[in-house]
Amino acid sequence: MFKKLIYLQWKSFFRAAGVATKLAQKILIGFGWVYLAFVFTGLAFFAFFGVQDDLGLDPLPTVSGLLVYAFVLWVVIRYFIQKMPMVHVQPLLTLPIPKKNIVRFGLIKSLISFFNIVNLFFFIPFGVILLREDYSLWGVISWWVSIGCVILATNFLNVLLNSQDKLLLIVASVLLGLFGLQYFELFDITAFSEPVFMAPYHQPLWALVPMVLMLLSYRWSFRHFLRKLYMDSDQMRPKNEVQRATELKWLDGFGRTSFFLKNDIRLIVRNKRARMAVWMGFAFLFYGLIFMMDIYSGAVWQVFIGIFVSGGFLFSFGQFVPSWDSGYYPLMMTQNVPYREYLKSKWWLVVAGTLVSLPLASFYLFFDWEIYLAILVGGVYNIGVNAHMVLLSGAYTKTPIDLNSMQRAFGDKKSFNVKTLLLSIPKIILPMFIFYIGVLVHSKLMGFILIGIVGILGFALRNLVFGWIEKVYQEEKYQTLAAYKQKNT
Amino acid sequence: MIDINLLSKKYGEQTVLDIDLLNIPSGQTFGLVGNNGAGKTTLFSLILDLIEPTTGVVKNNEVVVSKDERWKTHTAAFVDEQFLIGYLTPEEYFYFVGGLRNMKKDAVDAALEPYKDFFHGEVLGQKKYIRDLSKGNQKKVGIVGTLLSNTPLVILDEPFANLDPTTQIRLKKLLKEEASATGKTFLISSHDLQHITDVCDRIVVLNKGKIVRDEKTSSKTLKELEAFFQEQP
Repeated sequence: MFKKLIYLQWKSFFRAAGVATKLAQKILIGFGWVYLAFVFTGLAFFAFFGVQDDLGLDPLPTVSGLLVYAFVLWVVIRYFIQKMPMVHVQPLLTLPIPKKNIVRFGLIKSLISFFNIVNLFFFIPFGVILLREDYSLWGVISWWVSIGCVILATNFLNVLLNSQDKLLLIVASVLLGLFGLQYFELFDITAFSEPVFMAPYHQPLWALVPMVLMLLSYRWSFRHFLRKLYMDSDQMRPKNEVQRATELKWLDGFGRTSFFLKNDIRLIVRNKRARMAVWMGFAFLFYGLIFMMDIYSGAVWQVFIGIFVSGGFLFSFGQFVPSWDSGYYPLMMTQNVPYREYLKSKWWLVVAGTLVSLPLASFYLFFDWEIYLAILVGGVYNIGVNAHMVLLSGAYTKTPIDLNSMQRAFGDKKSFNVKTLLLSIPKIILPMFIFYIGVLVHSKLMGFILIGIVGILGFALRNLVFGWIEKVYQEEKYQTLAAYKQKNT
Repeated sequence: MIDINLLSKKYGEQTVLDIDLLNIPSGQTFGLVGNNGAGKTTLFSLILDLIEPTTGVVKNNEVVVSKDERWKTHTAAFVDEQFLIGYLTPEEYFYFVGGLRNMKKDAVDAALEPYKDFFHGEVLGQKKYIRDLSKGNQKKVGIVGTLLSNTPLVILDEPFANLDPTTQIRLKKLLKEEASATGKTFLISSHDLQHITDVCDRIVVLNKGKIVRDEKTSSKTLKELEAFFQEQP
């Protein structure tokens, strides 16, 4: 039975549109894996010998004490980035496959994920070092098992979080609460984390607790999805939705472009996936805070922050133009509109998103005016150059987004994935490079000015660039149309 | 209106469409029939420039469709659900497609008035998005979307499929009225021989990508077509 389901997955990958690019991306990602394996193995060595020799602490309890942070961070990152395993469920429902197997398959497939496997790169070498350094064999094994169970439990928890908004709220408020307690020094979770994660090492019986937790979370998500395996379950929208933002008269000033703008706004308001892109953009506003840490104080990183903080929406929404319209692309292509107007409306949207983010990001002024300068310059660059770049790369992104689909229980609701992140690298590396030239020639300020100039130049040349992008879209039109016909990939 | 010359479409070795010559004059109600895989949708997709021809050209009003986009100003089409925008209400969809053809909101409202019957009270004012409508009602939205802006050329792929019997009859009446009153050119495909011979004044039969019959509709046409399709191996 499972073999058949795996067979389906295999076919759907190789028969999808743009297999060649997909494969190329997979290979790139493969290199990324090798790199990560090295990094995490290195980290394991560092976590042991660094802590032991440099800090003079016992590595195992120290690492155990920090694990709680790692897991919390993991839950958060997973929620935002981990893609749900896609099992196209509907055609399977009437076939003689027990529903339990469909759900089981989906859940097991969710285990084969970056976020689970990458842990192995750390915990296996770390455990091996522990054994070589004469830690107790049974202790290490039971420690391993416990950590593994906790990781799997976060995996299943994440699967649930993605489909149950209520649970998401609960988990988010618990995490925020803990963070608050820690921040105001009312309660130290690390003190709590160390004995908890050390317990299985001292007494292997304690490993039963995470095991039971893991099994419970599996049961929970299993039962949840089994119940949801109906075409009209509340996984799907209620039929009579409330009407929102219907008229949008204020957009009429944009002339014919306004028709598209209105549609795009409705697209965002009424579709979960598109809304998600907006939230991602909002989350990116705070991205710079991570970099407040000392490791990233290098000047070039400020440019990196500037681009991301001001361009969060630009990247998260823009990278899926024109995929957002994949469901009705043939309609667009037969309507009385030139590509230019269609593209222009998307351009306006990402530019507006960037403009809005600039005042919102002004809280960075409290930290460092230079960072905010980087954000402003990044905004100029985003509007002048990257707004065009995302549209251009969109011409080659041929993954349909099925907005209407509520047919899969394990829906792919994420509007963000690792692959598309790869595509945005050139948009970020280039300004960093320009900045570096500026620093070499004169100073940091010069670097910022150069980026700004390039941005303004891009803006000034927008009509020219639009003509070019339009041509690329026209050349890609037939392939795009054909790719969007394949919905279930 | 439509001039097709030495048009073919191949996928690899397989020829799915091969038409030497086909002229559809303005004002004609043109019916296309043929079994599955005969090339009906391929032909419509080529006319709408949704796929590229392997050889030959389609001219719409003297304009080569793959070279020049001007044909879009006078052509409206509904092929499948990919011509609908699921997250809009039917009204918003009509304002959108009407707006792109320079119709003001009131003009769209006025243009919708004659179709109230056709909608049977199940489409307008329902506070539902198109994606939540039944297949049949979605089809009604798509069909009316092509009619309301009064373009001289309307292309409908299988408009009768998925509709309930009452609506099928109303659609037939509607298409006949539109054709005679406005002089619009209609390109319609269907598997329902009765309906298509009722509506169209010219029937073309496609078989394995080639035109095998092409005639003006007469009282004998339906019988002949039935006989033709019965004989198919």
